[in-house]
Amino acid sequence: MNLLISLTALGVVAMFGGILKFRSMVMPLSVLGLIGASLLGVYAWNTNQSFLNDMMRMDNYAIAFSIVCMAGTLLTILFFHFFHSENEIHYAEAVALMLFAVAGCAVMVSFTNLLMLFLGIEILSLSLYVLAGLRKKDLLSNESSLKYFLMGAFSTGFLLFGIALLYGATGSFATTQIAYQLGIAGMNGMAAMGLLLLMIGLLFKVAAVPFQFWTPDVYQGAPTIVTAFMATVGKVAAFAAFLRLFQLCFAPSKEGYQLVIGTVAAITMLAGNIMAIYQSSTKRMLAYSSIAHAGYMLIAVMTLNASSNGSILFYSVAYTLASISSFLIVMVVQQNRNNDTADDFNGLGKTNPWIAFALAVSMLSLSGIPATAGFFGKFYVFSSAVSDGFIWVVAVAVISSFISIYYYFRPVIAAYSKQTHDPVMTMPAGTQALLILLSLLTILLGILPGFIAGII
Amino acid sequence: MLTSAFYFIAFVTVFFAVMVIAAKNPVHSVLYLVLTFFGISANYIFILDAPFVGIVNIIVYAGAIMVLFLFVIMLMNLNAEAEHRKSNAFLIVGAFAGGSLLLIVVDAIRKVDWKSVSGQESSGGAIGSIKVLGKVLYTDYILPFEVASVLFLVAIVGAVILARKEKLPLTVGQISHPVSES
Repeated sequence: MNLLISLTALGVVAMFGGILKFRSMVMPLSVLGLIGASLLGVYAWNTNQSFLNDMMRMDNYAIAFSIVCMAGTLLTILFFHFFHSENEIHYAEAVALMLFAVAGCAVMVSFTNLLMLFLGIEILSLSLYVLAGLRKKDLLSNESSLKYFLMGAFSTGFLLFGIALLYGATGSFATTQIAYQLGIAGMNGMAAMGLLLLMIGLLFKVAAVPFQFWTPDVYQGAPTIVTAFMATVGKVAAFAAFLRLFQLCFAPSKEGYQLVIGTVAAITMLAGNIMAIYQSSTKRMLAYSSIAHAGYMLIAVMTLNASSNGSILFYSVAYTLASISSFLIVMVVQQNRNNDTADDFNGLGKTNPWIAFALAVSMLSLSGIPATAGFFGKFYVFSSAVSDGFIWVVAVAVISSFISIYYYFRPVIAAYSKQTHDPVMTMPAGTQALLILLSLLTILLGILPGFIAGII
Repeated sequence: MLTSAFYFIAFVTVFFAVMVIAAKNPVHSVLYLVLTFFGISANYIFILDAPFVGIVNIIVYAGAIMVLFLFVIMLMNLNAEAEHRKSNAFLIVGAFAGGSLLLIVVDAIRKVDWKSVSGQESSGGAIGSIKVLGKVLYTDYILPFEVASVLFLVAIVGAVILARKEKLPLTVGQISHPVSES
């Protein structure tokens, strides 16, 4: 609760930073504030307190995912500060929107009432719609924002209809009450319909096939830092909310819908990875890869057992670290070589060895090679699915992981084995250090996964 | 009495809703939509004993949103001739998908045994009154109420960002060169 209040207050402060002309303070204040809010979360660890008539509960699950989202936001704000001048017209407002978005994430991961889930999703989405259109004079950015807004509003309709039907079937918005009523009366037709519509709405938000069609255009058109924010913080929060909803409300009747989620996961992994192969733009390829990763994470939602929470948390951390750094490297390449095909990575290993190293580590982690965090992320998710008997889903997942190696390695091979005459790439101070830090964290988690794996 | 009133209002509402999609002129469509909202509000106020929801429905939907719709349509000068002809395949697929969803929803709701669905008894007929609603909103639901204010703040900040003028050249994508403004 303190965490949510401090995040919102921080957003307001950043907003006034633009109006009252203390822009140079916005970044330091946001960073300190996010660290402070994380400490508040750590302080509330194990208290498991519920707030204001059981609207939200700060259990360890909520705190852990809030901290992951805040860390992602912190990195995004730092990179945003590196690449954008404080005197740019929307600097402070953009930071404020990111902070409000992460406040929405905190609501989404701690809800115990469907109203709070809805409000959290809307706060996050509304911030992202605007952030995607931040480059107002760029037609692709406009397209991205508009498409995201229309598709997001459409999916919100499904979500809301699902909540309404569920309310009709159980007479309550509270997750405890819904689970209790469903336990007594069983899943009747209306509740099942509500579950289906809720599922459709959430699958839209996490960009699973067949609700993924907005993702490539939105991710490509948005400013790259915003894309990194959407693909990490937005997706992690959506998955945390998805899993939390199903754990709290629908866990006992999971046999009824596991096949549906499993099929969606399998199609998502295959389609995302196969379509990613055909992309020439690396940014667009990463957009398809984020669809594929939604498929892997859906496996944890499908199994819905005791180890799901921990495995999806580890996956989120690994995915966030690798995705943010790969999007940032794409951005550096875009700014220096004016394009982002695999050929533009040529010779990166010679000109900028550290950037090439960060690229290699993040791509290895995304494809799930051992000794990186991504390997253990996949390992935990797959092993819990196998222990529940979903061999076929895991088989599809492993095959699609092999497919993904092909396109993840394309820029890495270009960086190390091809030559270039282009000059050394330049980037704002601090970018390289932060990218190396992210790579080291990825390797550290790949060697010692116990840091995060068992905490919730 | 109440049942026949409901059937009358429901018939009028559905009739206007059909007219919304049957009308050729977009302005007429919007006006029929306003009437549909009035019909729904009448249901809230007279049948379901929820005057607050009814009034809000009129103010927000029939008032604010529909006026916005009308302005947009008039400013963009849409009319029947300017409408794109959708291909038949689109229509068939859309009708099939929408119809399937409708069938599933109707079937699901038809099968519900309403007597077993508990927790929906209204508390003494005053459930929809403004007094009860206000009390609930400021006690039980105070947190969603406050969090909604964050949502509106985001909307305001977003509107300010999108509305402020920028003196930059028009571009397509971040990596291509600026294009000349037409």
